[in-house]
Amino acid sequence: MVNATVANSVPATVPVTVLTGYLGAGKTTLLNRILTHEHGKKVAVIVNEFGEIGIDNQLVIDADEEIFEMNNGCICCSVRGDLIRIVSNLMKRRDKFDHLVIETTGLADPAPVIQTFFVDEDMKEQITLDAVVTLVDAKHIHQHWEAEEAQEQIAFADVILLNKTDLVSAADLADLEAKIRGMNAMAKIYRTQDAGVEMDSVLGVQAFDLTRALEIDPEFLGEEAHEHDETVGSIALAEPGEINGQKLNGWLSNLLQTQGPDIFRMKGILNIQGEDQRFVFQGVHMLFDGRPDRQWKPEETRKNELVFIGRNLDADQLKEDFRACLA
Amino acid sequence: MPSVKKSPFLSLSWQGQLQDYVTVMDWSPDGKWLAIASGSGEVTLLNVAELQTIVLEPAGTTSVDCLGFSCDGQFLAAGGQNGQVKIWEIPHDLSAAQPSRPKLLKVLEHSRTWVEHLSWNPTRNELAFSLGRYVQVWDTDSGEIVSTLPFETSSVLDIAWHPGGKQLAVSGHLAVKIWSRSDWDNDPVVQDLAAAGLAIGISPDGQYLASGNLDNTLVVWGWESPHPWRMTGFPSKVSHLAWANATRKSAPIIAVASGAGLVTWRKQSTDEEGWSSQVFDQHHKKIVALAFQPDSSLLASASEDGQVILWHKAKTLSQILEGVAQGFSALAWNPKGSLLASGGAQGEWLIWSQSDSYRRLRQRGKGFLR
Repeated sequence: MVNATVANSVPATVPVTVLTGYLGAGKTTLLNRILTHEHGKKVAVIVNEFGEIGIDNQLVIDADEEIFEMNNGCICCSVRGDLIRIVSNLMKRRDKFDHLVIETTGLADPAPVIQTFFVDEDMKEQITLDAVVTLVDAKHIHQHWEAEEAQEQIAFADVILLNKTDLVSAADLADLEAKIRGMNAMAKIYRTQDAGVEMDSVLGVQAFDLTRALEIDPEFLGEEAHEHDETVGSIALAEPGEINGQKLNGWLSNLLQTQGPDIFRMKGILNIQGEDQRFVFQGVHMLFDGRPDRQWKPEETRKNELVFIGRNLDADQLKEDFRACLA
Repeated sequence: MPSVKKSPFLSLSWQGQLQDYVTVMDWSPDGKWLAIASGSGEVTLLNVAELQTIVLEPAGTTSVDCLGFSCDGQFLAAGGQNGQVKIWEIPHDLSAAQPSRPKLLKVLEHSRTWVEHLSWNPTRNELAFSLGRYVQVWDTDSGEIVSTLPFETSSVLDIAWHPGGKQLAVSGHLAVKIWSRSDWDNDPVVQDLAAAGLAIGISPDGQYLASGNLDNTLVVWGWESPHPWRMTGFPSKVSHLAWANATRKSAPIIAVASGAGLVTWRKQSTDEEGWSSQVFDQHHKKIVALAFQPDSSLLASASEDGQVILWHKAKTLSQILEGVAQGFSALAWNPKGSLLASGGAQGEWLIWSQSDSYRRLRQRGKGFLR
């Protein structure tokens, strides 16, 4: 009954989908697919690059990326001023739009986009970040690996489309997917041609909803070590046992203070000593959001699972420090 | 005094409906006309004395976000999401019954850029409006753009003329920049900020410049002084502000809105003492507009909670006005301060007037003072 009530109530906030990826990776193609799918709904699209958007009656707004830094340039407090300005303006409608899609340039840092929707109180109240969807050009991504933006766009993603799979061999594709999985163990990865993907995979993902379970690729979790060339990578920790809440608090706050700029995203489910509910959390740089979740089920094995995605992370150190939090 | 308390200060005198969110309202300097614009692009003129309306722009697909009468009331300008600035000439004898209509004098077209702010020079027929990272200044006499000012660090977030009409202040990320119209090409005076300046205002006497900022601060400078006062402790970003325009010799008062919080700051007698603040938490949703009654310190605050609250001397709650379905969106006092216009998020507009007993009392009081 509770579910039925929730489903029938009008959503108070507008979902936003963030599309990232290099020019030519297929963002515009995916955008047009989304607009076709959302036919009949009012979709507002904020674009940072000119593209061919082929749907009439949708509001398409050009924007220059404007990063507003606060507190002396701390990257964790950076927001996108253009998005705050545009979304605040768009909200001045009697019938507000149903869905917001933000297309960023290949050179954009995704963090300020995400942070905008968690830091700014007007945005927080009216908008819910649904997912960061990153398109990767399977053939040409190799030219961009050196660029920080290319790595960050993969690291911040909730959904990754390995696009243009028809242009590469099966072996190359498998290598690429493994490499991307090493960088981001949380994202759902889909292989696509012409950005053709089930719309359910990119819309209504609710990737930032804490009540949705953390999903780590089981294969990734099983492996001991991950050798990769990139400085950006994922570290997954899985431990049985109970966590001492106080120790955990101390560790996490210290970690975010010292390595916040290098930790892009993190998520976790924890078994806190003395608690019958799961503790779930997520973070984007130094922004941290955590709370008790549902009860552990009687038949369920209580466990702790955490994923960190970031730059120059020390897996052994993280593991050691986390184990020190066990009760 | 007891008679004042019995009858409310303002009572509803007229109301109507636009098709969408009321984005902005402005009274003509003679108080005859109220211009209203909406989220669907409507621009309507209301003659409050004769209860007449003239539609200048019907509802369309893009919003009108800014609008204003020139200082002599001869022109009305409006700008919005379609990138146009439209300027109408308002005939002196304009009336809804007469054949003379406002004449569309000029359309300044800009593709793919929203016009979000505009402001007429308070002393001459010169219009400043924002255009992305630039401000353009249009002169009605020459019919030309006389200057294009680059803000550079971000899009323009607010603009304000100095009451003397000789300088133009523009806010954005990390600064308020002040240009002089005597030489638009000269570098502006830059007043640095630690974050984006969202709303700026210059005190009616021209002595102070205030900026409400994204980092939950209010910064106030003596006009062009390099040393600001920095007010902190706001619950969220400071998004609206208004200076009182009390004519008698009195301390400057500024009211600012931060989320649902309303704070007033009064200047103390010396600069060293600075400013003293008072916090009001009667609103329970975001405040969207603040306006002082002209020549008084009576403050009106409008909120998304569906209330307009009148604050006697910017201190005491004196009246709560309601009447919209989903919250208020705009406020404007007529130049005499006898009428308060407000707009709602569902397109409602309401005009309250001073109740007769109060008006008589006020007139008597004025006579007595004279």
